[in-house]
Amino acid sequence: MKKNQKIGLICSHGGHFTELLQVQEAFEGYPTFLLTYREVSTSNQENTYYVANIGKNPVAFIFSLIKIFFILLKEKPTILFSTGSEIAVLPFYFGKFLFGTKLIYLESCAQIFRPSMTGKWIYPITDLFLVQWEPLLRKYGPKAKYVGGLV
Amino acid sequence: MIFVTAGNHFQGFERLLEKVDEIAPRIPHEIIVQKGYSKYVPHNTKYFDFVPANTATEYIRKSELVVSHAGMGTIILSKQFGTPIVILPRRKIYGEHVNDHQMEIAQVLEERKDANIHVIYEEGQLEKKVMELLENKVKVTPKENVGRANLIKTIRAFIQENER
Repeated sequence: MKKNQKIGLICSHGGHFTELLQVQEAFEGYPTFLLTYREVSTSNQENTYYVANIGKNPVAFIFSLIKIFFILLKEKPTILFSTGSEIAVLPFYFGKFLFGTKLIYLESCAQIFRPSMTGKWIYPITDLFLVQWEPLLRKYGPKAKYVGGLV
Repeated sequence: MIFVTAGNHFQGFERLLEKVDEIAPRIPHEIIVQKGYSKYVPHNTKYFDFVPANTATEYIRKSELVVSHAGMGTIILSKQFGTPIVILPRRKIYGEHVNDHQMEIAQVLEERKDANIHVIYEEGQLEKKVMELLENKVKVTPKENVGRANLIKTIRAFIQENER
């Protein structure tokens, strides 16, 4: 029997958001929702949950943690996809261990030689881990894949 | 139109903003600046702090030239539309970023010699570079983005494999 996929798209604002939009075609035909930071650059998006920038203060972090848990509980995504950055960490761990979600991560095009913090944190639990520069493959491990980059 | 952007990074990029404002009166084009978190307030150009991503994308598509920090979002979009872009990397020593990864990006892109990507390392080089590019009318025809197509294919294949 075919499983009905529902895909949660997660990214912070700025370049991470641009990179997510660049690969949007991959999700055509599937129900999706977006989880991102509440910023001017990410405003007015459809099917979107906004959280406060968790880097900014500890209260916002706790609040976002609870909110993210309830979003996953309500939406029940079968797959989570992220282009970073740290906004992906909580939903990826919740998804993996509480909801059995499959995880796809696309490391930012800005990481050429060194892994990002987010990448290092979620590499161990991610099912499909893509990097955009070949030198990064060695820095992560056998699970990382390189099929090309956006730039 | 020339679109200047310091991106969404939480630190300012005063070096770029001050230099753009200084040379603006000598440049015969409309200049629009997204100053981001920079404190410097331009006197000689239009400016705003931030706009929604699709508005910034439109500016990049329509512009004759983009002037930017080495932020990947702006670089990817400039390449997609064939808009020439001048990149000045943010530096850690000036408090413009938390590390020097923008220098790495600039160096790698400079070595690759993409037709529309132009790297400068000092703000003093900006005026000459901008004038040169405006004179040569260097809007390029975008190439098919094979990397992007492969990423989309790989992600989609993974989703479909996991349908069983």
